[in-house]
Amino acid sequence: MSATEDHVAGRPAIDRPAAALATASRVAPPPRHLLFWLAAAGLGAALVVGLRMIGNEYGYFAGYFILQYIVLASAWNILGGYAGYVNFGAAGFMAAGAYTAIALRKATGLDLLPGIVAAAAVAGLLGLGTGYLTLRLRGVFFSIATLCLAVVLQTLVVNWDYVGGSRGAYIVRPREVPPFVSYGEYMFVVMLVLAILAVGISRTVELTRLGRGLQAIRDNERAAEAMGVPTLRLKLIATTLCGALMGVAGAPLPYYSGYLNPEAAFSLAYAVNAIAMPLIGGAGSWLGPVIGAVLLGGLQQAATVTISSALNLWIVGWMLVIFVAVAPRGILGWFRKRT
Amino acid sequence: MNTITRRDLGRLSLAAAVAGAGVTAGVFPAVAQSANPIRIGFAMALSGGLAGNGRATLLAYQIWAAEVNARGGILGRPVQLVFYDDQTTPGLVPGIYTKLLDVDRVDIVTSPYATAMIAPAMPVVMQRNVTFLTIFGAGVNEAFKYDRHFNMNVVGDNMKETYAKGFLDIAARLPTPARSIAILAVDNEFAQKAAESTRFLSRQRGLRIVYDRSYPPSTVDFTPTIRAVQAARPDVVFIASYPPDSSGILRAASELRFTPQIFGGGMVGPQLAAFQAQFGPILNNLVNWDVYSPEPTMNFPGVAAFQEKYRELAVKEQTDLLGNYIPPYAYGQMQVLEQTLTRIGKIDQTAMAADMHASEFDTIVGKFRFSASGEWAEPRNLYVQFQSIRDGDLEKYKRPGAKVILAPENLKSGELRAPYGPAA
Repeated sequence: MSATEDHVAGRPAIDRPAAALATASRVAPPPRHLLFWLAAAGLGAALVVGLRMIGNEYGYFAGYFILQYIVLASAWNILGGYAGYVNFGAAGFMAAGAYTAIALRKATGLDLLPGIVAAAAVAGLLGLGTGYLTLRLRGVFFSIATLCLAVVLQTLVVNWDYVGGSRGAYIVRPREVPPFVSYGEYMFVVMLVLAILAVGISRTVELTRLGRGLQAIRDNERAAEAMGVPTLRLKLIATTLCGALMGVAGAPLPYYSGYLNPEAAFSLAYAVNAIAMPLIGGAGSWLGPVIGAVLLGGLQQAATVTISSALNLWIVGWMLVIFVAVAPRGILGWFRKRT
Repeated sequence: MNTITRRDLGRLSLAAAVAGAGVTAGVFPAVAQSANPIRIGFAMALSGGLAGNGRATLLAYQIWAAEVNARGGILGRPVQLVFYDDQTTPGLVPGIYTKLLDVDRVDIVTSPYATAMIAPAMPVVMQRNVTFLTIFGAGVNEAFKYDRHFNMNVVGDNMKETYAKGFLDIAARLPTPARSIAILAVDNEFAQKAAESTRFLSRQRGLRIVYDRSYPPSTVDFTPTIRAVQAARPDVVFIASYPPDSSGILRAASELRFTPQIFGGGMVGPQLAAFQAQFGPILNNLVNWDVYSPEPTMNFPGVAAFQEKYRELAVKEQTDLLGNYIPPYAYGQMQVLEQTLTRIGKIDQTAMAADMHASEFDTIVGKFRFSASGEWAEPRNLYVQFQSIRDGDLEKYKRPGAKVILAPENLKSGELRAPYGPAA
């Protein structure tokens, strides 16, 4: 059933809003979901096989580093890229996921995978709650509120002794998880699956009515509301999804490093990268955060082990400035403009 | 919605391939280096919050490597340091150590500075059964219980029962022995353990704890806190803090003219040259935890020569000008490696760990052994008093007399002066 038919049938809410949206959906080719999932699974399998053939453990750690940013950037893009609500609290949501995994392990002894599910639930609820409380704020006020959320959460964790408080929490992980050759490979595969899911969810959101509704909000929220887009409901769905995926990105963090303290979990680097990566790749498209995360994450990882001095921060900083100046709509925007 | 054409995809693929090739070249460089040198790998905080101490540590390592190489190396092989900046970001540490061990294939790994950076490296080194000699960690191995972990730090195994002992011994030496104590600690691993020790030993000795609070690391204004401590009228004050808050606490105490009989404890900051230059007379009569002081009782063979060399280079390297805190221990850490390798005559992780467990080490920071958990078997928490400090001139800290050792008894080099406050 097309959006136009919905409109004719008199269904309320999102289907009704704009002829423009209906037109867009008529013009665009039907999304090839199956092809995407198959291609993503194929690419993922090729990565795992390729890294196993290289046989170098470092590939898994560098890959994990980049993949976690793909999840984080894709999550940020759902709210920031599609709906235009800039979330500065990525580190807060990510840490909420990480500390949920720690608390769950401490309370029940459950391992990483249940920890990820719990992190998604807790961070998703946190996203919903935050959305409910703050989405009546717009523009910079919303951004400041999300930044404050991260500060509030950090204060909470610092004073919560059960999860280590300010001292930090240790997670002594097993050395191997069969059938994986090492724990590094296990972590990599887990994060790869999460990254594929995050990108897939982000793409699905973009190509469905939800995404079109969010784009309408981004372009002009009042107009969208006047046209019948249920703005609050859509934004709540977006904040929940965004929060849950950011929590998912954080859940494996304590297992990856074996120790987590609030300073590391709430690091500003996560918040900055979560914004910079979609902007560099091209916000508002599911592919943009992936390109941004691979490029910027790869560059950061490479700079860490090559230049390896304070200079690498300088170089990453310049890269951001250059991209903002040369390609303000990101790499995707740059390509689109030229065609 | 905009769509991507086939031509766009082609361009994107090309861009990705170019970027990917660049990244790959960076992270998988051809390991074509000579197998001859002994390669020692580590991550170090060269930027970020811990860079001050990280850079000082690196300079000490470099001095050691140059000296060893000038002597002909170890086991006839030169040593080569392979290091990366961890940016004081724990998330980067596992990747760096994996690269060191699997791509660079270093022979030996040592740790970053300090606890928050050491812990993320532990699972990586444990997975490969590598001997891991760390610097200035605080109880990292309590969680991991790794039998090849060794820590270069004076605090030893049982911090709770030993850390504050020297401080309370000094308090008992006052003309009118102290009867009450105030404890103030920042919310972090090291400071909380220090406060726990003070609490435990104070109760054991019947001291009345009249104030016992923690504060978050983000605190900037300590005037209300110090006013509250002052109102409790303690005889002695034990503070466990990190450099930014040590600074705020000392300023507040100075402005409020707070002069208890003994003021100090486990403050990190007053050990550093920049701090000493900045605070000058405010440090006078402060009784504080330390690891080294150039007093005659600590004039171990080689330390003076090392410091002379370090101080020459420190100006150029823009790191701690005095090198009285971590650098001698960093140099000593490398001496431990050198002595172990010389004794066992080969690079063998199992034999290295066995030797470190069994042997005594003679370094520029003295002789010591490692305990079963890899900490110093005999803790050596120094409590020094800044005496006759009238200005921020650093020259006096190169000579005996400015930081007098009051505890432990075997290294004592002077007598306690009370109360805390500027020199007359």
